[in-house]
Amino acid sequence: MMKHRLYRIFGAVIVMLTFLFLPLHLLKYIDSAHAARLSLSRGLMCEDIDANAPRNPTLVFSISQKKALCFTEFDEVPQKAVIYHNWYHRDVPSAKIRLTLNPPRWSTYSSIQLRRTDIGPWRVEITDEKGNVLGVLRFSVTD
Amino acid sequence: MENLFVFITTIRWQDFVDICVNSYILFRFYVLFRGTNVFRVLIGMTVLWFLQRIAISLGLIVTSWVVQGIVAVGAIIIIVVFRNEIRRVLQAKNLKSVLWGFSYKSAITPTEIIADSVFEMAQRKCGALIVFPGKEDLSDVVRGGVPWRGLITKEMITSIFWPDNPVHDGAAIVTGDQIRVVGAILPLSERDDLASYYGTRHRAALGLAETTDALVIVVSEERGDILVAKGSRLQEIKLKRTLEEKIQEHVGTAAVKKGAVKRERLEITAAALLSIVFITGIWFSVSRGQDTLVSLDIPVDYINRKPGTEIFDTSVKSVSLVLSGSGALVKSITPDQVGVRLDLSKAVVGPNSLSITSENISLPPGIILREVTPNEVGVLIDETIKKELPVQIDWAGKLPAQLILVDSVTDPETVEVVGGKRLLEKIVTIYTEKVLLDNLKGKGELTASIVLNPASLAIAPGSKDKVTIQYLIRNRE
Repeated sequence: MMKHRLYRIFGAVIVMLTFLFLPLHLLKYIDSAHAARLSLSRGLMCEDIDANAPRNPTLVFSISQKKALCFTEFDEVPQKAVIYHNWYHRDVPSAKIRLTLNPPRWSTYSSIQLRRTDIGPWRVEITDEKGNVLGVLRFSVTD
Repeated sequence: MENLFVFITTIRWQDFVDICVNSYILFRFYVLFRGTNVFRVLIGMTVLWFLQRIAISLGLIVTSWVVQGIVAVGAIIIIVVFRNEIRRVLQAKNLKSVLWGFSYKSAITPTEIIADSVFEMAQRKCGALIVFPGKEDLSDVVRGGVPWRGLITKEMITSIFWPDNPVHDGAAIVTGDQIRVVGAILPLSERDDLASYYGTRHRAALGLAETTDALVIVVSEERGDILVAKGSRLQEIKLKRTLEEKIQEHVGTAAVKKGAVKRERLEITAAALLSIVFITGIWFSVSRGQDTLVSLDIPVDYINRKPGTEIFDTSVKSVSLVLSGSGALVKSITPDQVGVRLDLSKAVVGPNSLSITSENISLPPGIILREVTPNEVGVLIDETIKKELPVQIDWAGKLPAQLILVDSVTDPETVEVVGGKRLLEKIVTIYTEKVLLDNLKGKGELTASIVLNPASLAIAPGSKDKVTIQYLIRNRE
């Protein structure tokens, strides 16, 4: 009985020491591995969302359409996660939109309002919480 | 003393050549045109020019404008009015005589021979008309005539006016010791107060004397008397000695017969020295005058940049130079004559501070640098790297309302760009030129150039500077 108790204490000490001396930078890899599991299965620019599905996918938006949407779909979402839609107008950051993903699969979108000053080339970088780029979508805003 | 030394060291060999060439040109003008009306008018113009400068310096605006106008118009008038005189000087002499020759007025008019001949012709009642030009050109007044260019002898004169000679009715024109022209037709005087016994020969003598500064001897064919016409006066000569004196007085050989050539040489030497002094004076006033200041903004040129580096940023794009010099030189400065060049051969990757000294600044001759602002320039040198960048199409224009662009692909998808490391770190996309949508429909292919912005970027060797675009356009749902 006493022997079993000693084993249990010894085991607990080993576990504690393992967590104490585990290099912190390894945690990063664990996290990254977790993030890498997020898989962007579809990403596209579209004019509208209809019943959770993109409508009129396009690479060019006229400012008369008033808005541009970025639709992203993830097949494997192991746990609740956060992604960002980073909008850039000619490499200049314009908007950073935080979106939540829920397991097991999730689709989400973000949009911007179009003004005359927005004419030109754009890109949307889809990143995870750590800033890892999951995909890049390019489009233009025209007259 | 120190200023004098600095001044002497700033004189270049080009300045010596400048003074010498222009002194010689002025001197040649004197040699070619001396004794002519052109020369006198040129002196007048020079005086007017000086008056204009004085008027400007005194602030007499209208006076300086008027004098400037007179000088400008006068220059044209000289060419038009004295075209014959100028042409005679330039045409009559070959290139060597224009550039080098000296026409000494050394030939002394043999007044004794002329006087003897005239009195002999008078005795025989042989009519004669002999012209001694003054300083004025006679070519506009005298018509016709046969070029003669013969040395004066008693026999020659009497034979010209011999009644059977075809040219005896015309005038003989004497220059120096030569009869230059015979049979010349002179303008007739229109005076109505002349004695009735004066014939055409007398009217011709007076006609020329009235209009020019020439002296004309006329021998009457009917009466055998001798008259001298000068100005508006017609004077009868009784004595040979008087005639000689009249001629000597007119041609200027009365007092200087012996030393004429010597005096002439002295005159030319003095003219040469005066030309040098005059041009040197003008040169100093133009090139060494420091009365005018000007401030110019000059862009900085960077030279001798090390391979594999490029300029990322500079603290200034141009510097302000305060320059001084004479008004004429300062007014004539153009920005392309002034340069500021900084040597980057010793610059390192990273921030550099370079001083601007007079060695970095090139100025036109005669212009002096007073101040440079700023006198230090910060230059950030960057290392040149290559970076592969994705190409994005810069769509422009508008599709018809029912159409949408659903897909486009570029080939190649990326290009390799060369540029400064700091610059390329900030650039993540390279764009095409604007590609117009207006005429696109269905499926197609087109090419577009890549736009490098900023211009310091370059497409890496081996990479394409154009991309092929495949597009797909469909109807909107």
